Amino acid sequence: MDRRTFLSLCIKGGVSAAVLTSTQLSAMQSLLNQQQYHDYKALVCVFLLGGNDSMNMLLPMSGEEKANYLASRQQLAIVDPISLSPVSALPDTGLNPALAPLHELFNAGDLAFVGGVGTLSAPTTLDDYINKRSHIPSHLFSHNDQQARWMHGKEKQSINTGWGARMLELLEDQPHFASNISLAGTNPWQIGSKTSAFAMSRTGQANISAFSGTNTRAVQLEQSVMRQLAGSQKRMAKVYGDGLTQGIANSQAMNASLENVAPLPDFGSGRLSQQLQTVARVIASQSQQGAGRQIFYVTMGGFDTHDEQVTKHPELLAELATSFSELNKAMVSLGVSDQVTSFTMSDFGRTLSSNGDGTDHGWAGNQIVMGGAVKGRDIYGALLPQRLGSEFDVKGGRLIPQVSTDQYSATLAKWFGLSGSELNELFPSLSRFDQQTLNFMT
Amino acid sequence: MIQGKAMILLASMLMLGACGGGSSNEGKSPGYEGDQSRPPISQPDGKTPPDQVVETPIIYPQMSVAQASRLLHQGTMGPTGAEITAASKLSAHAWIHDQFSQPITYHLPLLKFSPGKDQAGYINRIDTWWRASLSAPDQLRQRVAFALSQIFVVSDTGNNLRSKPEGMLNYYDLLLTHSFGNYRDLLEAVTLSPVMGTYLSHLGNEKANVELNIRPDENYAREVMQLFTIGLEQLNLDGTPKRDSKGNTIATYDQSQIEGFARIFTGWTFADTTSWKYPQKDYLKPMQVWPKYHSEFEKTLLNDVTVAANEGPENALKLGLDNLFHHENVGPFIGKQLIQRLTSSNPSPNYVARVARVFNDNGQGVRGDLKAVVYAILMDEEARDLSQSPEDFGKLKEPLLQTMQLWRELNAYSESGYFLTWDLASSHGQVPLGSPSVFNFYRPDYQPLTLAGSDLVAPEAQIANSVASIGLLNHHYSSLVWRIASTKDQPTGDQILVNLLPHVQILEQQGATALVEYYNQVFLSEQMSEGLKQELLRVFDWASKYDVEYQVAYCLFLIVVSPEYTYQR
Repeated sequence: MDRRTFLSLCIKGGVSAAVLTSTQLSAMQSLLNQQQYHDYKALVCVFLLGGNDSMNMLLPMSGEEKANYLASRQQLAIVDPISLSPVSALPDTGLNPALAPLHELFNAGDLAFVGGVGTLSAPTTLDDYINKRSHIPSHLFSHNDQQARWMHGKEKQSINTGWGARMLELLEDQPHFASNISLAGTNPWQIGSKTSAFAMSRTGQANISAFSGTNTRAVQLEQSVMRQLAGSQKRMAKVYGDGLTQGIANSQAMNASLENVAPLPDFGSGRLSQQLQTVARVIASQSQQGAGRQIFYVTMGGFDTHDEQVTKHPELLAELATSFSELNKAMVSLGVSDQVTSFTMSDFGRTLSSNGDGTDHGWAGNQIVMGGAVKGRDIYGALLPQRLGSEFDVKGGRLIPQVSTDQYSATLAKWFGLSGSELNELFPSLSRFDQQTLNFMT
Repeated sequence: MIQGKAMILLASMLMLGACGGGSSNEGKSPGYEGDQSRPPISQPDGKTPPDQVVETPIIYPQMSVAQASRLLHQGTMGPTGAEITAASKLSAHAWIHDQFSQPITYHLPLLKFSPGKDQAGYINRIDTWWRASLSAPDQLRQRVAFALSQIFVVSDTGNNLRSKPEGMLNYYDLLLTHSFGNYRDLLEAVTLSPVMGTYLSHLGNEKANVELNIRPDENYAREVMQLFTIGLEQLNLDGTPKRDSKGNTIATYDQSQIEGFARIFTGWTFADTTSWKYPQKDYLKPMQVWPKYHSEFEKTLLNDVTVAANEGPENALKLGLDNLFHHENVGPFIGKQLIQRLTSSNPSPNYVARVARVFNDNGQGVRGDLKAVVYAILMDEEARDLSQSPEDFGKLKEPLLQTMQLWRELNAYSESGYFLTWDLASSHGQVPLGSPSVFNFYRPDYQPLTLAGSDLVAPEAQIANSVASIGLLNHHYSSLVWRIASTKDQPTGDQILVNLLPHVQILEQQGATALVEYYNQVFLSEQMSEGLKQELLRVFDWASKYDVEYQVAYCLFLIVVSPEYTYQR
């Protein structure tokens, strides 16, 4: 989209150039200054809220490993896994049958798993944990703190920004609003020092009733509201005034670019499917928005399975797998599957031991990455033994991660276009690990 | 300050010192007429004070309209013009005490089924919340309970509690019951609520089975510490974190306390059930204990306290809750969050300390007296006198409370009598008792990008993203412009209508300037900027071709979406 198109959009939306706010002008500026990427790339983060029992996604199929698994998991054990045939020679590993839709993607080479991932500031042993050495992440097992650690890419400081937003800021001086999109509201991953997420609704973006139409009422109300929002003086009032000004301008621009999106393959009616459908629609119209790099944040809740895990968890995994496969179809149909990589994050893994009918907050877990650029049909990282009392077990089957969340994230950031030194800047503790990145991206 | 009819109260109790402004002094809450329901923990000098102490009368000045409006924005669900006028005939002290004395408006008794239904659904509890909160005379209690519902979070979003509206309403009633009671009683009532037990899964929590690698559920143990009592880090009285010699914050607990409390919360399930495993589910009565499912191990608690293995479940629970209650973090941790819900996102450390001191001792040796805490929060000089407040004092108004004030002031109603707001999550980013997780709609320390580099937070900004703030903009527009009662001549069923006629009357009888001045009092506590006044007066020019009620509606719309209305100071 060029400057003229943008201006005509503004006028169509009822904003005359005379009342363009500084935010709108800066959005326009970023369009004009947009770096010319040779390619388009997008990252889709699917955050599984509550702490997915992801050790129960990949299961030992035979021998002592299986016996240990059954003993630790008891009634929560999955007894009918689907056998996986990864490229690498690995112990017999099965897939939770609730994830069956992912099996096909795995076999087609479009999907991989990364095992044993969790929050770490340095390689960590059981001895380090017992002796409370200083590099143990703060507030392990706490939902919001561990979510934030994943998304910040570093330990909490007085000012906190997320690695998603920082990554965009390393790539562009003034990131385009459409480069940073959340389908699930405010989150730590997308807050930077210059950019924060543009929030969209899973059912699309609302028009502003008060401003719609061309009559006196619409024109006057819009001008009056925008004047007031721009005129906020006090700092706390500016939080609202500036935020809404930006939200209105960006929503109007986004709605205009979504108008002409051709129909996509079907998505289900679940919340995750709906969010991913909107992501796909935005990706389909990205050339009109002009953002050469996009990051998306979507969430799925319900993973805090302290109780009724036997019924709840398979339902969650099934919905997750179905939604992933829908997104994959849509990306293939748009011809961008090599340019869009989707991946999971989750607060933490869960205890191998049971609390009667569920599990409690753990540490290491397994993650899913999907897309044409993923070296699929393989399992990376570490397949941790699912045995109570192992050298990885801090207690009750809370496992010490063997891959840090930062190594996992850095692999994605590298694919997105960041250099080695930028990765160290993005993830300050990365240099304490032998490998900056894993090998799961082309 | 208007000094008309000053309230003169003869202090007949243990009020030492005659501090006129009502701000707290040395941990005492001078104007607060204390909680007599509990015996004092101890008297400092071991003596019983005489029954009658003749004191210098404390004179509390009558409030101006602006002062009354400020207080009522902080202490009601959203004040009406009539309430502000009535309160302006009182002192702040007298208004608060009048509110303390109001009977409790419980919500569950107001529940109405939908027409033709023989049981309640989710929407009926939402409807009840609106009707009760809109009309309740005990507005301060309703506001405090709403604040507590965002600290002691239960939610029926995305779980089976959605089909238990009576239980959810009863939980809200429990918060109302204890809003001016003692925090220790509140903590126990919350802990034993079957709704909380379901939400944080300590209902049906069993002792360990070592053979099967089963250990007690840790969910409630963790969240009761992290969110309901002490938080993650040791705090000073003023709410700032304590630091060790290296400057690091100090954790309040580790996994051993989690496991200790997880054991404390074993053995409890639905009241009166005959089966532990397949219980009859009573979501109203407090949970009851089955001793044989209670952990027989020793329980490690905070501050090096342990509960002996053979203590028995009820006593163990008592000791566990006492242990939490007496932790020194509770005053600053809970006090600061209540301040943030009522008056300011960024209280000064001294304000937090003054409130925490009252939590620790209400002046009569009682710890945890919430009535005294609420009084201290509202009567503090930082809250009452803007000239004494930090530059950025105040908070962003919660979306639900914005709509609540409009609907209260405009006597909103529907023909059917229901308030069926199905889409609060998208239109307001908030649903009463419906947050996305136990971490509420926003965190107390949320800092939006606009405030980066400052030490300010704005929790409510966490839900003010482009979706929710445009959702709210559209909600305000439709509820004000498309739902004007006097413009409807067809049956309107469930539509929630607003009555603009009283405002139209002001406009027609006294003119536009008078109406704007009225709005200044009711919505802006007389802090309306000249710019906004001009913006509103301009409406009567450009909108003069529209019917007069639309002119009024556009005016109201411009007010409620203005930054200065949204920022409650």
